[in-house]
Amino acid sequence: MGCIQTTQVLNRECSGDDGDLRPKLLIVGNGMVGHHFIEQLCEQGLHEIYQVEVFGAESLPAYDRVQLSKYFESGSADALMLASVEAYQAKGIRLHLDKEVIRLDVDNKCLHTSDGDFWFYDKLLLSTGSYPFVPPIEGKDRQRCMVYRTIDDLQQIQAAAENATSGVVVGGGLLGLEAANALLTLGLDTHVVEFAPQLMPVQLNDKAGELLCHKIEALGVSVHTSKATTAIIDGEHAFHRMTFNDDSHLETDLIVFSAGIRPQDSLARASGIEVGERGGIVIDDHCLTSDGDVYAIGECALWQQQIFGLVAPGYQMARTAISHLSAKVSGKEVAPFKGADMSTKLKLLGVDVASIGQSRGVENAQYVELSDNQAGTYKKLWLDETGRFLTGAVLVGDVTDYSLLLHQYLSGDALTAPAIELLQQEAGTGIELKDESIICSCHQVTKADIVVRVLEGDHSLAAIKGCTKAASGCGGCSALVQQVITQTMESQGLETSKGICCHFEHDRQSLFHLCQVEDIRDFPSLIKIHGKSEVSQFGLGCDICKPVAASIFATLENEYVLNVQHANLQDSNDAYLGNLQKDGSYSVVPRIAGGEITPDKLIALGEIAKRHDLYTKITGGQRIDLFGAQLSDLPMIWQELVDQGFETGHAYGKSLRTVKSCVGSTWCRYGVQDSVGLAIDLENRYKGLRAPHKIKFAVSGCTRECAEAQSKDIGVIASDKGWNLYVGGNGGMRPRHGDLFATDLSTKELVIYIDRILMFYTKTAARLQRTSVWLESLEGGLAYLQSVVIEDSLGLAAELETHMDKLVSTYQCEWKTSLDNPTFLSRFSEFVNPESMPILAVEQYGYSRGQRFPIAPSSKINVINLPVDEVVQSTELNEV
Amino acid sequence: MSWINICDEKALPSFGGIAAWIENRAIAIFNLKEQGLFAICNTDPATGVSLLSRGLICELEGDIFVASPLHKQHYSLTNGQCIEDANLSVLLYRVRCENGRVWVQPTSEAIDSLSSGS
Repeated sequence: MGCIQTTQVLNRECSGDDGDLRPKLLIVGNGMVGHHFIEQLCEQGLHEIYQVEVFGAESLPAYDRVQLSKYFESGSADALMLASVEAYQAKGIRLHLDKEVIRLDVDNKCLHTSDGDFWFYDKLLLSTGSYPFVPPIEGKDRQRCMVYRTIDDLQQIQAAAENATSGVVVGGGLLGLEAANALLTLGLDTHVVEFAPQLMPVQLNDKAGELLCHKIEALGVSVHTSKATTAIIDGEHAFHRMTFNDDSHLETDLIVFSAGIRPQDSLARASGIEVGERGGIVIDDHCLTSDGDVYAIGECALWQQQIFGLVAPGYQMARTAISHLSAKVSGKEVAPFKGADMSTKLKLLGVDVASIGQSRGVENAQYVELSDNQAGTYKKLWLDETGRFLTGAVLVGDVTDYSLLLHQYLSGDALTAPAIELLQQEAGTGIELKDESIICSCHQVTKADIVVRVLEGDHSLAAIKGCTKAASGCGGCSALVQQVITQTMESQGLETSKGICCHFEHDRQSLFHLCQVEDIRDFPSLIKIHGKSEVSQFGLGCDICKPVAASIFATLENEYVLNVQHANLQDSNDAYLGNLQKDGSYSVVPRIAGGEITPDKLIALGEIAKRHDLYTKITGGQRIDLFGAQLSDLPMIWQELVDQGFETGHAYGKSLRTVKSCVGSTWCRYGVQDSVGLAIDLENRYKGLRAPHKIKFAVSGCTRECAEAQSKDIGVIASDKGWNLYVGGNGGMRPRHGDLFATDLSTKELVIYIDRILMFYTKTAARLQRTSVWLESLEGGLAYLQSVVIEDSLGLAAELETHMDKLVSTYQCEWKTSLDNPTFLSRFSEFVNPESMPILAVEQYGYSRGQRFPIAPSSKINVINLPVDEVVQSTELNEV
Repeated sequence: MSWINICDEKALPSFGGIAAWIENRAIAIFNLKEQGLFAICNTDPATGVSLLSRGLICELEGDIFVASPLHKQHYSLTNGQCIEDANLSVLLYRVRCENGRVWVQPTSEAIDSLSSGS
């Protein structure tokens, strides 16, 4: 057989043959594990050694399958995406989507795709994943019987749900409950049918399953356990009727099978590569298959008769395969795959569930159990027969102890205290982490890895995430990572208090509260009453606490920020109502609400910029930035702007910047609401609001989302029934899509919600914390914020609205105020004796593309040992 | 060494800085009330930009500093040393107040450490 194929092959030109002489690495499957393999590949630089081609059978590149039901929450796959064709391309890796590999020819080392192409390889990686198991039930192939695995599947479910009122999920395991969440989100009367007597029979024991069942039924999902479906036939009231082994039946409009997975091993099986009796591509400790040039990883791989249906073991296999592939180049030893822990923690239909180790126990095992009906929590720890070693655990309703328990289980250490103490308050304090303990199992980060970085000065969770990747996978270990950071800093004798700086032991929220209830409105009082006296001999504060105080006072009273008690507290930009640039000049940004500007005002802006020779640039917030204004020129420029009807844009403040908008229903043929009108109203309402950090808004007039509202702190997208509100989006260094907060709001409701959200943020966020991080830091996250804002669970709504109304009614254009008052204006005189200014003209600017720009000043002039005269000379040289 | 008459004492903002010209160069004068007057070269040695007068005053470790408005390096007003970078420092100038007028000595030679009014 090999002979004939060889002839065929040689007569045609191979698709991948483009003169690249590097060895070829082909990857079949672009799921989470395949993508992780590619990430690791690039990290090791192997993408430069191999010519890499990736084949994905789906139309989308790798996405987060674990959180699939989020697709229905946001309505798009964007938030789930992990990879992109472009990102791969940037690394020189080609990703072929919608390209199904139909045959693997190991003799000729060649892959054949469904479109007739074929590709030679030197090394091949199979990460083909798994497919959903559909039990052999009569009627399983009827219309509206679906599976739940890919975004394609979800789109089919969504389409079917449009004409349905009810849906059944067959299978009460992990995936089944995820699928039930999806049906619930689609507004269907949702049922779960499980063959076993309880939910999640693989991970949970009966009591835990029972509690989970109660919690899920409270959400409106009907659970049917101990039911085996015997047939699916036409229904009388609904599309289907499912009949069960106990002669009962259930009618439903659609059915989703989620009764387990099977390894997708067909390519390997047909090629002659060894597969397991019950499926799965057999691999060794290096993730190599029976063919020495073919690796297999993830859910398609069978290691010691086990399939690993979780993402973390798949990631471990990916790392093993990479280390084997690079061993010859790197000279490093291969890190073998030694099996993986199947412990898991997840949120199913909003219910926290976790299982560790032998979560269903073994014979003769000891256990401790805590069932709290009032709190709705259940915890059970399994111990060995001596009672000294943790062998497994089940947690439902409260999984805060998961990380520590998992660590205790994985370490194999004896418990230092009675096991029951692990289940009581302050649990886990008795567990000590060792240097080699794995803190982040997704990325295999040990305690020592984190400690090293903390000792090098990375003290924040964000910094540690960035440099070690810890807590950047499933995120379940965040608390543990934070604990390691804190402990390490404490062992160094470093201050780990939540205080904003060395002068206060309070965070911003506490200081805000103190200023509010004790009526403190000036910095000397604040530091005298609440500062640490031992470090505040002169009561001067510092560049951290003073701007925080200024922001708090501004939120409380909204006074002119440069009046005598506030001026010396303001940070660089606020201090002179301009944006300080690298050469010491300022940029000027007038407000152009909603990005709408008349031709006359546009001309006026142009003329002012031209008169003062200001570099002019359009900003990302749909307004115009004028650069190169010297401090002393600011009043003159602003006088001209104010005369032309402009007001300050607060680009210098930690405050509302812009409300970006698309053109909306007034012109756009797709627009369903007046997005520009709303944007202008919102910008005018919240302009001047001082907050812990800058705030950006956007309003889109339809779901095409041209204003990119989901990347803003507050995003509003028109629906045909009103406005959808998104909160906590961010661009910048760590982009984040906003969370859908509420849908189909009237303009009035929208403004009330935004009022409450912004005031709550302003009062409770940490210093320089954007809404995205704030939202993530709230215990309970989005749901908590919704309860505070929509349901008024804290009884704060009225106060928040009143406070916002006060700020709106006391708005002032800070530049108008400055121009109207000679005392305020004197602040912008840079020199106290301008008459002594030297005649020497200092030219620090050049021209390019028709505009003025600064010539880079010499960096780091070191004046330490130079006599004064020489310093002056060198400065002159650098300024020419 | 001669002293140069700069301005009226009232022209100095309290607890903040302002720039002044002396002999073709810019210095920054800070008025810290009870703690006195301080004068340093206005140029931020980390960037070469003349703007230290616009920095925030800070009290750290028992000393008084100005934070550069650009990248927030802290320079001691009493010895010129930068906290973040031992290779950086600013020149200090003698400054005093007499009969309601502010005077500065236009040389920084031999000033190791000084307090106001000396």
